[in-house]
Formats: sequence, structure tokens, C-alpha cells
Amino acid sequence: MTTRKKKELHITRWLVLALLIAVGIVGVLVKPARPDVSLKGETLVTFPLLGGLTLTNTFVTTVIVDLIVIVLALAAGRGIRADGSPSKGIAAIFETIFGAIYSLVEKTVGKKWAKQVFPLVATIITLVLTANLLKLFPGMESIGLIEPLTGGETGHATIDIIPGLVGLTATETTANAYKLVPFFRSPSTDLNFTASLALIAVVMVQYFGVRANGPRYFGKFLNFGRFLKMWIQRKVGPFDAINPFIDIFVGMLEFISEFAKIISFSFRLLGSMFGGAVLVIVLGTLLPVSQFGLYFLELFFGVIQALVFGVLTMVFIAIATKGHGEHADEHGEVQKAHA
Amino acid sequence: MEYTLEQAIVLAAKFLGAGLAMVGTLGAGLGIGILGSGAMQGIARNPDAAGDIQINMILAIAFAEAVAIYALVVALVLLFVAK
Repeated sequence: MTTRKKKELHITRWLVLALLIAVGIVGVLVKPARPDVSLKGETLVTFPLLGGLTLTNTFVTTVIVDLIVIVLALAAGRGIRADGSPSKGIAAIFETIFGAIYSLVEKTVGKKWAKQVFPLVATIITLVLTANLLKLFPGMESIGLIEPLTGGETGHATIDIIPGLVGLTATETTANAYKLVPFFRSPSTDLNFTASLALIAVVMVQYFGVRANGPRYFGKFLNFGRFLKMWIQRKVGPFDAINPFIDIFVGMLEFISEFAKIISFSFRLLGSMFGGAVLVIVLGTLLPVSQFGLYFLELFFGVIQALVFGVLTMVFIAIATKGHGEHADEHGEVQKAHA
Repeated sequence: MEYTLEQAIVLAAKFLGAGLAMVGTLGAGLGIGILGSGAMQGIARNPDAAGDIQINMILAIAFAEAVAIYALVVALVLLFVAK
């Protein structure tokens, strides 16, 4: 039994190698067409009745990603045993991954908040990871509708692969030019997905901050404590007159940094994933064999960016839930000691 | 494809701008190098803390890398979006 299994593995390994070489040869012989690069999600359908609302390919893929995550969640939920016996199949994989994430959350946020924070962090990591890895599937950004270009722009000539199925050739023309509008494109290459996820993350950071500290949480932004103290006591020493204004200024900076978080969250994911997609497209047309290396690189970046998105959300929540009051006092004393 | 002089200048400026925007990655590269060196030294001195150090290192690298990615976004916008 074991020897047979070993032999099968052996055959599979050679098959994979042969396929890789075949892809390389085909890539060199048939010059691939360079797809159109557009930062916006390409429009598939326009609904004139709904005020020109458009259905973009990134939205279609977002729905697919959501469905994949839901199906995986249901499959994993079925495999979990209530009596604590080892889970089977896909549930075991998820138990390992989420166990690692949970211990990380517990270490960063603390035991008290870990149970509330973990679902958010795990959901973000799963969703972004699925979206990032889906980008690497064959057919993404390469199967779609072929549209004629009218404005005299540079496009590609078409070729009939089989009747009814048209392909684009690598030759670039201006007359009779066509471009491809793919059906599927990874959502993380669209600013709408990343920005909305960043908004959710930052709003949840505020939510956990308020839940942990109550209204005192907003004291971080409107830090008038020492200013009022000075106003009431009318005690003005050299540093007592400066520090309250520094507090107010720091509060303003904190307020701005919340918006900077949204921007940095959304552009980090977008830039990394869109840049990766462009890299694969451009280098793939220049040197098709380089796809092997680039795909591994993109696999790595997809996992890292998903992890970074989740871990950063977690760290910001940990900072927000930490008692602000005692922390500030400690800080103030340190400043005084320095002064 | 034929360009008028104006179009050619705009195109050249676009490409130059995109190339120059990527100079910003210099700082991110330096920062990531310093972070990696620091983390290596930390792990070498205290191998038990390798896990914690790695997580924090990846986090800090993400911050440093974000600057490079802004540069990349600017370059990509210049190349593909700006008309």
C-alpha cells in the first residue's frame, strides 16, 4: 500500500514538471497579448434604470470571494466536534490556522478582549487572503468580453481560436482594434474593496476603544485636561503654560492619524496587489518563463499582506483598548522628569 | 504610432515622472534593511524571542514598505490613469 502511494507521488511530480516545461514552451512559441491595465474595475454591465449604476468585474469577484469564504466556513463548522475530539478534514486545517491567529490575538490584545477581537481579525485575514490568492487562479483577468475600441486608441487584433471563441493576438493596431474586459479580477486590486475594508477596520478600532474606555476614549482627541487645570488654578509656571497646548496639538495629530490609518490601510493593500498584477502582466509578456518565479512571489505577498492587514487592525485595537488615562499620566511624569 | 511634439513631450514627462516617483522606494529599502538587521541581532542574542521579534518585524516592515507602495501607486497612476 505504501509503496504504491510512493510511486503515484513520483508520477505526479514528473507530471507537474512536464506541465511547467510545457507552459514555458507554449509561452515562448505563442506570444501572449498584453492585457489592458486599468486602475478602476472594468465595467461589465451598466444599468440605465438605476441611474447608470455599473457592475464591475471586481465586484463580481468580491461576491465570489464572499461565497468561497462562506462555504469554507460552513464546511469547517461541520467538522468541528463538540466533545473536543480531534476534528477531521478541512476543519483540522482551519483549527490549526485559527489557533495560531487566536494565540497571537491573545498575546497582543490581552485575555479580556481576545474573544471579542478575534472574529474581526480572523475574518479580515480570511477574506483578504482569499481575495489575494484568487488572483493567481488561471482565467482571472484573461477571460472576458472583447470590446471594440472606437477612439483610435491602440488595441489588439483578434483571431478566431474556434468558431464563436475569439482571442486577442499580441500584434498592436490602431485600426480595427479590440480590448479585453475580463469577467473576473481580484477585488484587492480595486480601491473600493480595500478602502471599504479599511473603513470597517478603523471604525471597529474606535468601537473597541469606546467600549473599553467609555467616553474617556475621546479624551485622546480632545485633550483639554491640563488646559482646564491651568485655567482653574491660574498657576502658570514655565512648563505649565506650554504643556496644555502641546496636549491639544497632540490630540489634533491623533485625530488626523485616524484618517491617515484609513488611507494607509487601503493603499498598502491596493498598491501591493495591483502592483503585483501589473508586474505579472508586463514581465509575463516580455519573458513568459518568468511567470514561475513571479507566481511564487505573488503567493508570498498575498499571504503577507493579508496577515499585515489583520495584524495591524489587531495592534490598533490593542492600543485603543489600553487604558488611556493611566498611560497618559505615566507619559506626563516621564516628560516632567526629562524637563 | 505618430505623435505631435506636444503629445511626445507629455508622454516623455509621464514616463520620467513615473520613474522618478519610484526613487521614493530608496528610503523604504533602507528602512527595511535596518529593521532586518535589528531583528537578526535580536534573534541572535535571544533566540527564544524569535517568534515575537518576527511578528513585530513584519509589522514594522509593513509600515516602512507602505511608503514604497505609495510611490508605486503614484507611478502606476501616472502610467495608466493620468491622461
